[in-house]
Amino acid sequence: MPSIPDDLLRRHVPRQRWYAGSEEPASLEIDAADLLREDWPLLLRLLVTADGICYQVLVGLRPEGEQLDFLRGHEDSALGSVDVDGEAARAYDATFDPELGLHLYWHVTGGDESAQRVRPIGVEQSNTSLVYDERFVLKLFRRLLPGANPEVEVTSALSRVGFPWVAEPLATESDHGFDLALVQPFLAGAVDGWALALTSLRDLFGVHDTQSMPVIDLSAPPPALDPAQAGGDFSGEARRLGETTALMHIAMADAFGQASGDGQEWADYIEAQARRALGDVVPALAILDELRLADPGPAIRAHGDYHLGQVMRTDAGWYVLDFEGEPDRPLEERQRPTSPLRDVAGMLRSLHYASAVALTERDGDEFDQPAAAWEARNRQAFLDGYLPVAAKGGILPADQASVDAVLAAFELEKAVYELSYERAHRPDWEHIPRTALRRLGVGLR
Amino acid sequence: MTGPVVAGHETSSVPNSGPNSGDERWYQKAVFYEVLTRGFFDANNDGTGDLRGLTEKLDYLQWLGVDCLWLLPFYQSPLRDGGYDISDFFSVLPEYGDLADLVELVEQAHKRGMRVIADLVINHTSDQHPWFQESRQDKTNPKADWYVWNDDDQRFPEARIIFVDTERSNWSWDPVRQQYFWHRFFSHQPDLNFDNEEVQQAILDVVRFWLDLGLDGFRLDAVPYLFERDGTNGENLPETHDYLKRLRKEVEATHPNTVLLAEANQWPTDVVDYFGGGDECHMAFHFPLMPRMFMAVRREQRYPITEILAQTPDIPDGAQWGIFLRNHDELTLEMVTDEERDYMYTEYAKDPRMKRNIGIGRRFATLIDNDRRVSELLHGLLFSLPGSPILYYGDEIGMGDNIYLGDRDGVRTPMQWTPDRNAGFSKGDFAQLYLPPLMDPVYGYQSVNVEAGLRDPGSFLHWLQRTLRVRKQHSEVFGVGGFEVLSAENPSVLAFIRQRGEETILCVNNLSRFAQPVELQLGRFAGKTPVELFGRVPFPKVGELPYLLTLGGHGFYWFQLVDG
Repeated sequence: MPSIPDDLLRRHVPRQRWYAGSEEPASLEIDAADLLREDWPLLLRLLVTADGICYQVLVGLRPEGEQLDFLRGHEDSALGSVDVDGEAARAYDATFDPELGLHLYWHVTGGDESAQRVRPIGVEQSNTSLVYDERFVLKLFRRLLPGANPEVEVTSALSRVGFPWVAEPLATESDHGFDLALVQPFLAGAVDGWALALTSLRDLFGVHDTQSMPVIDLSAPPPALDPAQAGGDFSGEARRLGETTALMHIAMADAFGQASGDGQEWADYIEAQARRALGDVVPALAILDELRLADPGPAIRAHGDYHLGQVMRTDAGWYVLDFEGEPDRPLEERQRPTSPLRDVAGMLRSLHYASAVALTERDGDEFDQPAAAWEARNRQAFLDGYLPVAAKGGILPADQASVDAVLAAFELEKAVYELSYERAHRPDWEHIPRTALRRLGVGLR
Repeated sequence: MTGPVVAGHETSSVPNSGPNSGDERWYQKAVFYEVLTRGFFDANNDGTGDLRGLTEKLDYLQWLGVDCLWLLPFYQSPLRDGGYDISDFFSVLPEYGDLADLVELVEQAHKRGMRVIADLVINHTSDQHPWFQESRQDKTNPKADWYVWNDDDQRFPEARIIFVDTERSNWSWDPVRQQYFWHRFFSHQPDLNFDNEEVQQAILDVVRFWLDLGLDGFRLDAVPYLFERDGTNGENLPETHDYLKRLRKEVEATHPNTVLLAEANQWPTDVVDYFGGGDECHMAFHFPLMPRMFMAVRREQRYPITEILAQTPDIPDGAQWGIFLRNHDELTLEMVTDEERDYMYTEYAKDPRMKRNIGIGRRFATLIDNDRRVSELLHGLLFSLPGSPILYYGDEIGMGDNIYLGDRDGVRTPMQWTPDRNAGFSKGDFAQLYLPPLMDPVYGYQSVNVEAGLRDPGSFLHWLQRTLRVRKQHSEVFGVGGFEVLSAENPSVLAFIRQRGEETILCVNNLSRFAQPVELQLGRFAGKTPVELFGRVPFPKVGELPYLLTLGGHGFYWFQLVDG
């Protein structure tokens, strides 16, 4: 059994995308080490706890002197030199080694040798995903939580109750009390909702370029841009996405059960977050009072981090991905039943973000009005798809006024979270949640 | 080749796959050209196009790269439905010429390596047809049972009315016979009774007659409706398929290189039945693909196309789809299932422009706002997606339409050959012309015509001719090669692989009017070099990493993946 010196890990772990902290860990220890492949190249799986968080580290080892071309451009993925039974070897992140990538698939699937090619998927936060032959995807959980991983738990449950718009788990690996890996079908030809929404907006902003001009009249104002008339109209997609979302929630209620929501508790929780994020300048949050008075409707297990980047358009329809919830929230909070309208609010906020981000690509205010019209149209289309199906499924508050109140309150929650996030990471985008808060009656100076 | 005079033989470096090649599956690799005899060229100066005129223009079509002409109906007819109301199956409409002219056309086409197929309507005849005139006399005459008669108009209530705008019932009263007759289309087009063996034989005789004269096949109009059965909607009945199989068998025994092209305006999963097990029709139109190609460009995303291709079943060996951007047919929403109709309504009909256009009435150039780059992109798709492409006369020069002519005449105006009088179509009096040529500032014959297209080396006409030449060099893989859509994170990019034997073609299309990047996962082709097909320019070799390409607005590439 090769061993990896602590100091290599101490340097390696904090440089990985999946590392939760921002500097070198004060404490680091190896909880478990499994040799998954005994021939060269070796594959070693370590469970490492750094500052109280457990990580899955996959180490590949090849004899010193072998070419490691696959690491080119990924220099942070090299660990350094180690001694393996008296032989010098190079240690590196095994997910970049195609040979070990295929071995991982064989290992997790319990002996499936059919995979021919493997490639890593680009940017991810707390996982690493490998794609095999454009047919299967292996998701390796990097930041580990004790007990069932919500992604494994939810996709399994949704598949069990017959919800088709989720990539059903084909194989999983659990060890040492953790879910470590998951194999799912790869959604070939899929595009995430964010890319499609931006395509639609760019098309709208470019409509002027394609209009015919019967006479030259320089004094006439340019014709208004109407997203309903634009070729790239997104509303059909938004409506179908709303339907799929409602079906997902009904399936969630089916799989995990439903309870009565508690509007008072939700409102208190949102208010606490708002006060923490906005400080004392918070004006009266009238919206939360409406939530306290409304019929909150049922509480169900929800997606938890629902936005356009989590849904994929395929030839068959919209698929929903990533049920892990917001990775920075504690697990029990992510698993706690909440209003399905919290997910809906997340998607509505995402539609606002799409229109606002498309505007940042343009100079001047020429497109402010069409961007707002685009958002309003697709917001309505999403709700038109969602609400009737959800109502039929019995997962909504009893009356429309209550639906509106619950929805607005969760939009407020999301916007508050966004504001903190943008202030810390992307000050240029701070105006986006500020606009949202203003619309919700929370004017900030 | 910039002169107005077309001398076809020395211009085409790639020979057409000729009728003498003995290739029974020629139609899988062919490029078809749908032509309206009435509108193509007038050889006798009477204001109406004719068969001799068509023969005179064969050099042009050969130069263009056409492999097979599809003639709209040229039979004797009262012309109440554009010739789809045939009153004599064995003669040519005198305005178009006579049988000798047809034989000459076919011979001249064959001499140039081109084939000729013709529209044939077997479901019904004109009410002027002698068969119907005899049948209506009484209930006992020899042809009394050649049409579908009934005492009341209540039978077959499940059958829908297709021409809802003009017809109120599929039954019409005949005052002579004092009975109702059955018609799925216009009331002047009584349906033949295919339950009668004599009718089945008579239609076989018609088919043999024209094949003996040299025709290479037929586009079979309105095939789903041949039979009627109580309790059914009278579409796609097993009896209809049985007869088509019989037709195929009889035809193949005597004329083995014939093609039967089914017009069944149905969803692809139903249309595939018309291929049988490879023993029914050779070809069938893929109707829903057409509006979706336009929609993909409007949406700037690939899903309208990839969705319908994902729903298109595999077809038997030897079968082929006929695909097109425009023809005189239309996609009607009645042809689709409820779920798909919802989709079509939300995706297409809500857009007033598409609503107006989806029925018919517009030509290709007007549908795409005369955008040259879109025109090239969509033709690039037409020539590289699975199926045999079918061009509509005049679209190769970007002809427009005249929506004020009404019905379908708007897209049947005279072919524009020159900027001279009557667009060079006819030397007759202007007032004599069957329809006026286009004279508007954008699409009028003064600017849009074959002569101008030939003189201008940068014209769309020249581009199309070059593109067809490239396609012909790879007609096997484009015609019958496997088809696989590649994943691309950019929704505006449609990339796919066509593969046949050792040959692999990579097609990458940008459906957006803006420049777009795309990263393709080509790892399994690592070590191959993509060679661009128009200029034979080698691109950087494919490696393990994603292959980055950039495309100009509405740009597309065809690459051959070669070793080394």
